[in-house]
Amino acid sequence: MKKEKKATINPINRGFLSVIGDDRRQSISIPLFAIILSILAGAIVILLFGKNPITAFVSFLQGSGIIPKPEYAAKKSILTDFMSMMNSLTPMIFAALAVAVALKTGLFNIGVSGQMLVAGFIATITVGYSHLPPAIAMPLVLVIGVLCGGAAGAFIGWLKHRFNINEVVTSIMLNYIFQYVISYFINSYYVNPVSRQSNPITAGRLTLVDVPAFGLKMDIPLAFLLTIPIAILVLFLLNRTRLGYELKIVGLNKSAAKYSGINVGRSVVTSMAISGALAGLAGVTLYLGYYNSIMPRTLTAVGFDSIAVCLLGNMHPIGILFSSLLITIISKGSNYMSSIMNIPQEIAQVITGLILLFSACGAYIRYKVAQAREELSDLKLKAEQKIDGEGGEKA
Amino acid sequence: MSSIIIQGMAFALPLFIIAIGGIYSERSGITNLALEGFLGFGAFFGAAVVMVMTGGNVGSLEIPMFFVALIFAAIGGALFAMLHALLCIPFKANQVISGVVINILAVALTAFFTSQINTVLLGKPTNKFMLGVCHTFTVPGISKIPVLGAFFTDVYYYIPIIIIIALFMTYLLYRSRFGLRLRACGDNPHAVDAAGADVSKIRFIAVMISGAMSGVGGICFAYSISSTFSPSIYAGYGFLAIAALIFGNWKIGPTLGACLLFGFARSAGYKLAQILGLSSAFSDIIMILPYVLTLLLLVFFSSSNRAPRALGEIYDKGKR
Repeated sequence: MKKEKKATINPINRGFLSVIGDDRRQSISIPLFAIILSILAGAIVILLFGKNPITAFVSFLQGSGIIPKPEYAAKKSILTDFMSMMNSLTPMIFAALAVAVALKTGLFNIGVSGQMLVAGFIATITVGYSHLPPAIAMPLVLVIGVLCGGAAGAFIGWLKHRFNINEVVTSIMLNYIFQYVISYFINSYYVNPVSRQSNPITAGRLTLVDVPAFGLKMDIPLAFLLTIPIAILVLFLLNRTRLGYELKIVGLNKSAAKYSGINVGRSVVTSMAISGALAGLAGVTLYLGYYNSIMPRTLTAVGFDSIAVCLLGNMHPIGILFSSLLITIISKGSNYMSSIMNIPQEIAQVITGLILLFSACGAYIRYKVAQAREELSDLKLKAEQKIDGEGGEKA
Repeated sequence: MSSIIIQGMAFALPLFIIAIGGIYSERSGITNLALEGFLGFGAFFGAAVVMVMTGGNVGSLEIPMFFVALIFAAIGGALFAMLHALLCIPFKANQVISGVVINILAVALTAFFTSQINTVLLGKPTNKFMLGVCHTFTVPGISKIPVLGAFFTDVYYYIPIIIIIALFMTYLLYRSRFGLRLRACGDNPHAVDAAGADVSKIRFIAVMISGAMSGVGGICFAYSISSTFSPSIYAGYGFLAIAALIFGNWKIGPTLGACLLFGFARSAGYKLAQILGLSSAFSDIIMILPYVLTLLLLVFFSSSNRAPRALGEIYDKGKR
């Protein structure tokens, strides 16, 4: 009798299990659950400041143009905020996709920031400072970004394949090398004495800035149009092509891949090249889109944040679209939140960290759910056996 | 020449102690990308304790306060590392994502608390703690030896401390029962379990040690490079330490070599730029020296490189 009481699952747990769903639904429901947990944790942090968490979360959404603010400055509206959010979302999606492709092959591309910088810099000095018409300059910028990032990625893959150099070390070393070399060129040839950054580009900016439309002045991130097709392309590549299959097998089990006749070395180089190419796209959309100049001696944080965003999106291209959106809303809305709530802006970063923290525990939640479900089915089994047994006695 | 050695040692040894922390964690089977966060948070904790104790003005207490900062940096690093250990061990999180998240959290939390503490102590929300300089000493006699004497000239106080800690950590890893088990956890955790030791506990301690070591390294960087604690502590030294320990094939001895290489190549580069009277833009080119050198050396030496076998795998008792 006592044992049975211990094994009983209370209705709350039972309800939770049915909400979380089966394995298929879990890939969505568990990240969502993690996000809800982290929003609760963030709410507690905001409560500690003696502020209303709901107003704070609403102001995140207002600041990033998801819901309207109470009032706007001249020529600004929800649309301008939204566009500006999209503007910073674009490089994040590409960067997270870059991390995902490498991870699928079991490679960890921590050099996304460096590859972004190289692609952005070369596109800036070749096309950015020219006077080509936009219709030629923009596609050219994208192509150069893909090629430069891809080359940098392929180089890392080649070093791994040819000399067994761990890709993490190569990426970190190259991050520094790119950063310093590019800083030298910027400071020597392209520096703007006022801003201490590289001169603003004159052609090929992928974001149209201050476009007068609907009586507003807004930024239009043209490259955003590419994010969804490219995410689908990556999905297609990974799930529907021979190449993608090979990449994934190499990531799952190198030896098995080798014995089944897959050229592991080539897969490593290819995967890093694709990853680098995506990082290159992120680079040009950041430095020739979101910004129009490059700050010397700094790597962008986008390349590092994208690692976490990629994993929050479960390394799935479509998941990444959503996780990038969430993280960008928080970072973009933090300015407005901080000004309206009088809460330090760093809190936004803490909340981002909390979301990622809880989503990192997804595997644990999955494990616990599986455990609870097993207990539940054991219980059912026992109950059935008991009924059978009683029935037997009566007969 | 002597300034190359002095500055090189001042950079290489804090890097080395952080890398030792990384080795402890990774040899126990926990991937540690969080070194950057650990060193920043550890340094913050040490600096914050000093600030609170002195009321925001270190004044003439620089030397005793340095030791206070060192101890609390180790404690702070270890406490913060518990977060990584908790995520990776009982919560079975992906160790890479956990590391990245910890780095993000460390930057956010330290920036936030620094400005809060400064608001209370100084009345203005600056993002810096002024720590004062770390003092140096010169060993009389030995320091007169040509070239080698430089190792004993203008030595930062933390250098002998780091050497002592490093010797102890080396002994602990390679000569003690705990170290043997720790290394076994990274290669074959099931064997450790079968031998009756607790894999989770050993890994937990290993990650905490890694946090403490990173904290020590972090506060040394804070003192030697800028004599302040500020967000500039997050300059990628943690990632550099990871590179050094992979370069050193997850062994303490070769890792020391890698760190010294970084340190001396870096200070030699600075010196070279100074002698040649180069502009600050050009010295950036020389700054790549340590990284290019590492890549070149790796081309020759990494064919035998091998990571701990169970690195990054979540330990599952039931798995064979």
